[in-house]
Amino acid sequence: MKAVGARLPRYDAHEHVSAGTRYVDDVRIPGTLWAKALRSPHDHAEIVSIDTSAAEAMEGVHAVVTYKDVHKNVHGHIEGLGVPGDEPLFAETHVRYKGQPVAAVAADNEALAIRATEAIQVTYKELPSLLDVRKAFDGDAPQVHHWGNWYPHFEGEMDRRQIRKGDIDQAFEQADVIVQGVYRPAAIEHIPMETQVCQVVPEAGGRFVVYSATQAMYFSMGVVAAHLNWPLNKLKFVGGTTGGGFGGKVDSATETITTLLAIKSHRPVRWRWTRMEEFLCSSTRAPWHMEIADAVTKDGWILGRKMLTLHDAGAFARFSPYGVTKHAFHHTGAYTIPNLEFNGYVVYTNRVPTTAMRGFGVTSVSFATETHIERIAQTIGMDPVELRMKNATRLGDTSPNGIPYVDPSTVPVIQAISDAAGVELSAHSRTMTSAMRSGEDLPEHLVAQMGNPEDH
Amino acid sequence: MAKHRGRGIAAIEYPTGMNQNGDPSQAWIKLKMDGRVDVFAGTVDIGQGSKTVHSQIVADTLGVPMDWVTMDTSNTDSSAFCMGTFASRGTFIGGNAVRLAAEKVRNRILEIGGELLEIDPGDLEIIDGEVIAKGSPDKKIGVGDIAGAATFVKGELISGQGTALKDYATLDPETGAVTIPPHSAISYAACAVEVEVDEETGDVRVLKMSQVYDVGCAINPTMVEGQIEGGAIQGLGLGLLENCYPYYPSNDHRGGQFGSYLAPSMEDLPELECIILENPSADGPFGAKAIGEMANNAQPPAIATAIYNAVGVWVTELPITPEKVLRALEAKAAGIPESVTTGKVVRYDEALSITSHQSADAVVTFAV
Amino acid sequence: MSLNITVNGASRTVNAEPLTPLLHVLREELDVLSPKAGCQNGGCGTCTVLVDGEPRRSCLLPIAAVEGAEIRTVEGLAPPGQLSPLQEAWIHHYAAQCGFCTGGFLMAATAYLENGGSDDHTEIAKALGGHVCRCTGYVKILDAVSAAARGDSFDLTTTAAGLHTTLKGVDQ
Repeated sequence: MKAVGARLPRYDAHEHVSAGTRYVDDVRIPGTLWAKALRSPHDHAEIVSIDTSAAEAMEGVHAVVTYKDVHKNVHGHIEGLGVPGDEPLFAETHVRYKGQPVAAVAADNEALAIRATEAIQVTYKELPSLLDVRKAFDGDAPQVHHWGNWYPHFEGEMDRRQIRKGDIDQAFEQADVIVQGVYRPAAIEHIPMETQVCQVVPEAGGRFVVYSATQAMYFSMGVVAAHLNWPLNKLKFVGGTTGGGFGGKVDSATETITTLLAIKSHRPVRWRWTRMEEFLCSSTRAPWHMEIADAVTKDGWILGRKMLTLHDAGAFARFSPYGVTKHAFHHTGAYTIPNLEFNGYVVYTNRVPTTAMRGFGVTSVSFATETHIERIAQTIGMDPVELRMKNATRLGDTSPNGIPYVDPSTVPVIQAISDAAGVELSAHSRTMTSAMRSGEDLPEHLVAQMGNPEDH
Repeated sequence: MAKHRGRGIAAIEYPTGMNQNGDPSQAWIKLKMDGRVDVFAGTVDIGQGSKTVHSQIVADTLGVPMDWVTMDTSNTDSSAFCMGTFASRGTFIGGNAVRLAAEKVRNRILEIGGELLEIDPGDLEIIDGEVIAKGSPDKKIGVGDIAGAATFVKGELISGQGTALKDYATLDPETGAVTIPPHSAISYAACAVEVEVDEETGDVRVLKMSQVYDVGCAINPTMVEGQIEGGAIQGLGLGLLENCYPYYPSNDHRGGQFGSYLAPSMEDLPELECIILENPSADGPFGAKAIGEMANNAQPPAIATAIYNAVGVWVTELPITPEKVLRALEAKAAGIPESVTTGKVVRYDEALSITSHQSADAVVTFAV
Repeated sequence: MSLNITVNGASRTVNAEPLTPLLHVLREELDVLSPKAGCQNGGCGTCTVLVDGEPRRSCLLPIAAVEGAEIRTVEGLAPPGQLSPLQEAWIHHYAAQCGFCTGGFLMAATAYLENGGSDDHTEIAKALGGHVCRCTGYVKILDAVSAAARGDSFDLTTTAAGLHTTLKGVDQ
């Protein structure tokens, strides 16, 4: 019997419907303590002092940890990809978003842990905050970081991700019309039904077992090991079963802090975020600000695109530089545009850091590109589906970074959706395939960008 | 005042695997002495179904029944490295890792089977857990017998490991150009939605969503549907409902509970139609490409367009709430043009542009 | 205080403060783990159990308010090793992805069916509309509940094709 292609039930279907699946919060270890974090009440402030002594003196409180307990407090999750760390595990000199962890406690029960966090005395000096990415570049803008309001380390030293392809000036010169628009999708919360959670158990031999809801066990293990300066064999991650992620459980937001509490208390510790923490303190999908100007001919060819993207990263970089690069690579959507000038900035603001979420970097540009195409069609008085078919990626067309598409199917998916939705296509669009362009489908402006898909 | 209907279409593309590659997944497989198959992979099943898809790939690569395969993705002591469940990489990259491991195990089964049957391994195949001579189906031996012989006679653990890794694509910092494809494959999709807009309240209801997805090949069509349907409703949330910062860019009045943050519910569900296009990828396991992440990308622009087609206003700040629809309708009624034309430049959304919000000394702007 | 509840047919004595949520008692005192702490504020439905046959959010119910009540959870839907028709429908219609919301949905849907609920999607959505699932988009949950309401029988070696799905190849 063939398994591939068959409508087989889930591997874990029986467990899921019969209460058999064990999520992290279902792990039962006797003597487990509850963790709670003390979080910043301010969008932006200087920390004048932190006094944990009253919390430490409480009966039933077994550990209080702050930045002082972390070997490497600032670790960038994608340092290996050339993105330097900028986010402390615990705030040290400043808090840069409301909800940022300042300290954490482990206590006999949840209620006591909450009281212990309230007993920690922190003195703040409030600072002005930056919230609108459009004001980040102003001379008098509040400064989120001492180095500025946008990420300066693309390829080591560039302060933006850029794409340059073809001859953008010529495209805008030759255009009959230039259509400009602004697109701003919102931040949204991942909402896994299982909130961020982990449980850490010290073992007699000195290892720590981390029960984690992470989407990436080895990645999260690497994050903990880097903060603690530990070899990987001191840790064992147990996971693989997660109550929804959608990108939000790549952050490894609980594992290191819970491990620090387990180290200090010599006890198993569980940290399960409340739904309110999940909504207000966990990372979100980023809000994006995108401006597009397309150079268009009156018969519907898109000759060139200028685009500015401001990615509202929140207070720290996390995965944002990666997301903006991916965004740049896909900023023409399902179409080929031969002349490009793209500038993308990772802009810091005093809000919760944003992170990966389903469609990272591309969901934003899909919204911008597709809405913009409709406006182009409206501006020049052309059918929007015909405009799409005309500019659809075909074999031999190249992507914004110059790679020929090898198995494009913009053409068949538009044909299929037109059938499904009852949209009439022209005879030309009806019979079009993804084959290499020729004849009326290959205008002069597309010749120079063509590549050979056989090369890849 | 009335309700108006409109239709919008959008087409999208989405890459498989981490941008610029360099993101390995590994797996190793061992046979128990009765031929049953233990797969140790690091891919986390966050609900998308990687355990199911990976076991389907292993079963068919080996030629054994599906219920012979046990997936262990439980811990970092025994499971092999996986970069993680993100970047729509589980089926393609994780799937290729288990496929490569299974191919090594299959080859070793065939070699030992060939020794036992005294037939060249090239003339053997594995069907439904039995090693069979091609063209002579009576000459055969069970995979369980081969695994038993390996364990108790030859003194060997039949095992195999696989790594799926594509070279890192370096880029030119000035142009963004890369020398190799910075992804494993590209998937494509299109969506058509029908909406009903209430002119009086600004309320938008999605009535129907049709969707077409090119997923290479569907390893498990039901699970592909699950991704499409789940993504569609998240896309509806993106388009109409969800916002962490209702007064963005202000941080005020954030919703901290389900009652104050609007996630789609069962009652928001439109009629849904799914079309799965099979356009096999040369490099994917059994021709598969990714599906997971792209599934919420096409709906928001299709919804925005459908609203335009219903009531003639563009709302390009998501989500498209009743308040935004009403404000746009008011502006239209007041005769405020939706775009401004200067020479051959037609500018929409001037009020949203960075140029309308920054001071004269700003060091970054957008000028055409 | 000490009080008595019946959980899945078994009488249990609990020592707890009267305002302790039933969810906490079930999970932390009795090791009944199918109700999940999804929001602990009544907003998501992952903790739904049946109290004397009615679906209730166990996170909002003080234990004192259910003294003497008959509580049912997923653990009690079928004898060990067996599944209720609704559970079978959930498998056959692929209604669970990550599975975290599944228990709450199953209990609310069980009550809906026991009260004679029909296979009408609008009626089902009214009954289950307060439950959040982030994975499935609810489509296959509706399919499963409506199949169970019709009394369909289920082949658990396969899953049902989506009602409005077509599979087709591309000519390049």
